[in-house]
Order: sequence, then structure tokens, then C-alpha cells
Amino acid sequence: MEILRETIRSLLSNKLRTFLSMLGIIIGITSVIAVISLGQGTTQNLTESVSSLGSNVLIITPGKTTIRSGSSSSSNSLNVEDANNIKNSAPSVKSTAPVLQQGFLLKNEDLNINSTLLASNNDIVSILNLELSDGRFYNTEDFEEKRNVMVIGFEIANELYPNENPIGKNISVMQNISNTLTRKVNFEIIGVMKETGSKLLYNIDTTVLIPFSTGDARLFQSNGEVAQILASAKSQEMSKPAQIEIDTLLYNKFGSESFNIMSQDAILEVIGNVTGIMSFILVAIAAISLVVGGIGIMNIMLVSVSERTKEIGIKMAIGASRKRILFEFMFESIAITFIAGIIGIIFGILLSNGIASLAKEYNLSALISFQSILSSFGISVAVGLFFGIYPANKASKLSPIEALRYE
Amino acid sequence: MNVMTLKNIRKTYHMGKIDVHALKDISFEVEKGDFTVIVGPSGSGKSTLLQILGGLDRPTAGDVIIEKENISHMKDQDLAIVRNKKIGFVFQKFNLLSNMSALENVALPMVYAGVSLSERKEKARELLELVGLGDRVTHKPNELSGGQQQRVAIARALANDPTFLLADEPTGNLDTQSGIDILNVFHKLNSMGKTLVIVTHDQEMVNEGNKVVKIRDGLIEEVN
Repeated sequence: MEILRETIRSLLSNKLRTFLSMLGIIIGITSVIAVISLGQGTTQNLTESVSSLGSNVLIITPGKTTIRSGSSSSSNSLNVEDANNIKNSAPSVKSTAPVLQQGFLLKNEDLNINSTLLASNNDIVSILNLELSDGRFYNTEDFEEKRNVMVIGFEIANELYPNENPIGKNISVMQNISNTLTRKVNFEIIGVMKETGSKLLYNIDTTVLIPFSTGDARLFQSNGEVAQILASAKSQEMSKPAQIEIDTLLYNKFGSESFNIMSQDAILEVIGNVTGIMSFILVAIAAISLVVGGIGIMNIMLVSVSERTKEIGIKMAIGASRKRILFEFMFESIAITFIAGIIGIIFGILLSNGIASLAKEYNLSALISFQSILSSFGISVAVGLFFGIYPANKASKLSPIEALRYE
Repeated sequence: MNVMTLKNIRKTYHMGKIDVHALKDISFEVEKGDFTVIVGPSGSGKSTLLQILGGLDRPTAGDVIIEKENISHMKDQDLAIVRNKKIGFVFQKFNLLSNMSALENVALPMVYAGVSLSERKEKARELLELVGLGDRVTHKPNELSGGQQQRVAIARALANDPTFLLADEPTGNLDTQSGIDILNVFHKLNSMGKTLVIVTHDQEMVNEGNKVVKIRDGLIEEVN
């Protein structure tokens, strides 16, 4: 207890120096906390948007050649037949949805908004877990007759029909034929989706859905070729067999691995890897400032030891053991880093929340975990311990006679 | 009752290739209640003897026995305990800790001895009263005169009821009046039965001692 009071007395007796020696650690811990919480928050964001799909969703894309709408079919492109084939022949697969996708400008009279248009079948509703707030999804008749019907996202409804119910209203898709020529295709709105947010690759709120046949015929002219097929396994456990079955089917067709099957787990793994590497690099950079801060503390403590040589000699002469002197100095450096750690944690929380609120649009968010706070505490105390040992040891090894003689 | 014995103490320093024999053969005893004064010209080995008596250094040969305990080959940590509990050091330059009050300075040896806070405060206050500084407990050393500082130092030396008080030129840095004050304090302590060992040049002090040890060239010249 007495050692604590002595530490406080000693730290307060030279406030500026104490503060300056804390600065490095404060900066280090602040950046560690900020990096970790932003990393964790953003990872969680991404993970949530991926996980919202359900882990039984698979995304099948042609691998080696890119498909453009309107191009003639090549041996390794995916088409509607593949989607049907997979659904019928793979026992673990529940449903498949071929997807044509492109960004379009949508118009309602003077109002317009950019959107992602997906042309697909009805299965996409169950695969992406979509829910309507109003109206209906397209049905078999819409599909067969290639009707110009559309289900729109929450934000599109809000932007284009701010004061009215969009159901039954007209909406125009503006398609650029060339630089100067824009074609306008009119659709009837039959449904509005609930506010959903992001689901994997799509922001559902700015997405519109039309029947696949309609999209193929009126907008994409892709002759059944698709950019991707979404599939869902019958259950989470069947996701793996489903993947193998699809792989076998497509391999038999193409005779090569010119396609990709991505599962949610695989995407999560990629996200985890990327954010993990990012966090690691950033934390490593932050760690440099901790090391620099630690060296600063060691420096200050060495100065302090030589300044207080006489004091150490007196204390030894009246009975302080070497161990006691060692502890006094160790305590001091740990106290410096401990307090700096607390300040750093507070600043880190403020900083990461500040950055997160400034950069919301980039999907950044801060997640301050108990773990990161605890480990920051641990790190700062460890820095104090590590860089305090040498000066404290030096102090305790002083000869009492020579220390007493020191002026 | 014998409280301290020095037996054939030798101390040799190695200065490069030359051996310096600071103490050649020192033996004497201190009885309980003695007022021992050690005198000698500079270079006589006085300081070396003081360091060995104070448990700050070990002799090259010979034994230092304090209350039947031989401290001449003790480990550092045991020696620290001896300095803390058996020896009360008083320095020429007071050597108080400047950022502590008089009370805290006096209490410090008790901190190392593991005495509780309340007990420390009480004892430190008593000791300051004993040396006539009961009204100066909260003063910092730089708020006290030299004589007062030395009295605080004496109080500190008494903190753990040591076997003997060991003073190194305690009046060397003081004016005459303060020196007399200190001498009076020593008198008072001696009459209370405290054992004193004082290294000094001060003739007044020499006259007070009931035992005077004269040292010259690392040898005892005379004991009376």
C-alpha cells in the first residue's frame, strides 16, 4: 500500500515528465483499440449481411470467361437449363434461381433513382428470404406471358412514390442502347418489399425484381444465358453435399472446372481472412508505437534512476532491500503504462466511434468488445513491466555506499 | 551486556594493481548503554569502519557481531534487514527524503519493517516529540533548519528501536548552537539507555564519550 502512495507521490512530483512518458502508450493503445474495434465492427457488419442469407445458399458463377449479355453462348457459360437441371437432378438442392443482373435508372415522371435490377424466377424469393410489405410477387402467368411486372425495394418505393401507394403504378426502366439513345421500358409495380438492408451481394432496398422471361426478352436478350445461379440446399447440413452434386453436374457438362460454387461459409472465410489480415497489419503498426512508447518510458525511468541515486542510497541505508527498490521502480513504470492504458482506451473508444460515424457509408462500424479493452489493459501493463525491468533492476543493483556518495 | 563486537577487521580495496589496506586489524567491543566515539584524521580508515559497522559493506576478513549475530558474510537481503532493525544511521548531511514530511521520513524505516500505518504514525510522532520537534511533523525537510533536519534524522534512526545508533559526523554540517542541541539529544538518548556509536572530529563530542576509539592508518591507536 505504502509503495502505491510512494509511486503516486513520485509521479505527481514531475507531472509534465509523467505525462510525456505516457503519451507514447496513450497513442499506441488508442490506435490499437480503434483498429480492433473498427475491424471487429466492420467484420460483424459484413458477416451479418452474409449470414442473413442463411448458410444453405450457394452461388454458382461461370469461372473462366466472363459473360456479357447478348454474347453468343459458349461452352462454359451458365444458362437457365443449368438452373433447372441442377434443381431436378441434385437431390440435396431445394431450389435454384437463374439471375440476370444489371444496374438501371428507374423513373416515375420527374423522380428517378439508380437501382439494381434482377431478373429471376420465383425461387429467388425463398432463396434470398424476401418479404413483401405490400402487393404480391410475380406468378407463373406473369412468367409465361413475359409480363412487364416488377417488385420494388423499400427505398425505391420511398424515393419514387413518396406520397402514394406504388402498387399498380407505372415505373420506367431507362436502358441505354448507345451513348445517345435511351430506351424506356415500362413496368407495372405489383409488390413492394420490406425494408431489408444488405443481403450478401445485394442491397435489397435499392433492388427491383422482374420475371426472368421478361428480363431476358425485354432487357437482356441473353437467350437464356445467365451471370449467376443462386441455389439453396434443402437444409444447412445438406449444403456440402449440394455443393458436391452441383460440382459434379457442371463438371460433366463443361468437362472442366470453369465455374465457381461459393457457399456462405466460403464467403465468410474470405471475409474473415481479409479482415483478419487487415486487422493484423494495422495492429502491428499500432504495436510499433507501443514499442516506441515503451522505449520512451524506459528512457524516462533510466533518467529517474540516476536522478534518484542518492534517494535510493538513503533508502537502502535505512533498510530498504534490493527487492523493495526494484518493486518501487517497477511499480512506477507499470503505473505510468496502466494510467496511459486507461486514457488510451477512452480515446480509442471515442476515436473509433468518431471514425465509424463519419464513414458510415463505407459500412464501417465500431464494435468495442470487452476482450479488446481487457487485452489493451494487459498490453499496457506488459509494456510497463517489460520496459520497466531494466531501469528497476539497475536501481536495485546500485551499491548503497556509492549511491549515498552520489550528489 | 555486549551488543557489538569487532574482531580483527581487515578491509582491502583493489585499486587496479595496487591493494589499499584501509583497515588492518580493528577489534573493539561496544556494551549496551555505551557512548562510543570513534575519532581519527582523514584517511585513517574511519569511513570504511563506519560502512562496515553500518552494514553497508563487508570486511575482507574478521567478524562483525551484532547481538550475537555475525553479519560479516551475510547476504544482501539479510544485511538490509540488519540495517533496518539493528542499526540506526545518522548521516553528516542528514539525508532526509525531500518530498516527504518529517513524519513520513521518520516512519520510512518502519514501512520497510512492515509496521502498520497507524502504528507507524503514532511511533513517528512520539519520536519527533522526543527530539523536540512535536510541532514540526508535517514540515518538509526544506522547511526545517539544519539542526532540526538532523533531529528528524535521529528520530528516523530510532524508528525500529535499533541495537545502536551509528552517527557519521552528526554535527559536521551544523553551526555551534545546533551542534550543542544535537549533543543534548544524544545525551538524552544515552541517559535513556540507548547505545551510541559516533564518528566525529568534534572535540565536545569526544569529551562526552565514555569510550573513545582512536584510529590511525587502519589501526586502533588507543581505546579509553
